[in-house]
Amino acid sequence: MKLESRKEEKKLANRVYELMYIASPETSDEEVGKLNESIEALVVKGGGSIAKTEVFGRKPLAYPIKKKNEGIYVLFEIVGAGQEIAELERRLRVNDTVIRFITVRVDEDRKAADKVRTKREIRSARKGPGVSAPVEQ
Amino acid sequence: MEQAREENVEGGGTDLEGTLDQGFDKMPRRFQRRRPRQVVPDYVDWKDIEFLKRFIPERGKIMPRRISGVSAKDQRRIAKAIKRARTMALLPFVAD
Repeated sequence: MKLESRKEEKKLANRVYELMYIASPETSDEEVGKLNESIEALVVKGGGSIAKTEVFGRKPLAYPIKKKNEGIYVLFEIVGAGQEIAELERRLRVNDTVIRFITVRVDEDRKAADKVRTKREIRSARKGPGVSAPVEQ
Repeated sequence: MEQAREENVEGGGTDLEGTLDQGFDKMPRRFQRRRPRQVVPDYVDWKDIEFLKRFIPERGKIMPRRISGVSAKDQRRIAKAIKRARTMALLPFVAD
């Protein structure tokens, strides 16, 4: 029982999320920076950490959102337990400068992809160097 | 891959001839058929719009598996990625 709960805890702490938001195009660079800092502070406070921050800048939207045709795209990669994501989503929903956001849990899909990749490598290695993997063409 | 596609087009041509023999009112249902085995990465990234665009015809819809020739598993992953990209306005819901 004890072991199980500890296992659960470990699993919870190692989740990886991607967070992307679109800020309104009128937002200045400083405001975006401030917002990013507050997001980071919130994540750190919740026991998580930011693995990556990427500001893509002004990009056209594929369709208008709130009568706007472009937006400032920002991407985060967050490692954490999940509770801080819930809090983060609550804040972003209220924030008026953020016109759209998405959070995606990526660790499980990435792990699955790694598994497939290693399996394939093992298989192609067994076949020998003469036969190439059927993936590339 | 390119060569296989040409073969398929030729197959469609013979189809057309067959239907013409039967009667003019019957049009061939489709010319281009299943494209044999598509290369799909192990992890389909919803941010990789250049890749996802290959599965989006002009109208902006998700290409059916019977046309693209990807596996069922890959189709599910691609569809999900396209939907995520759509919510973030990286891809259109409808394109005119």
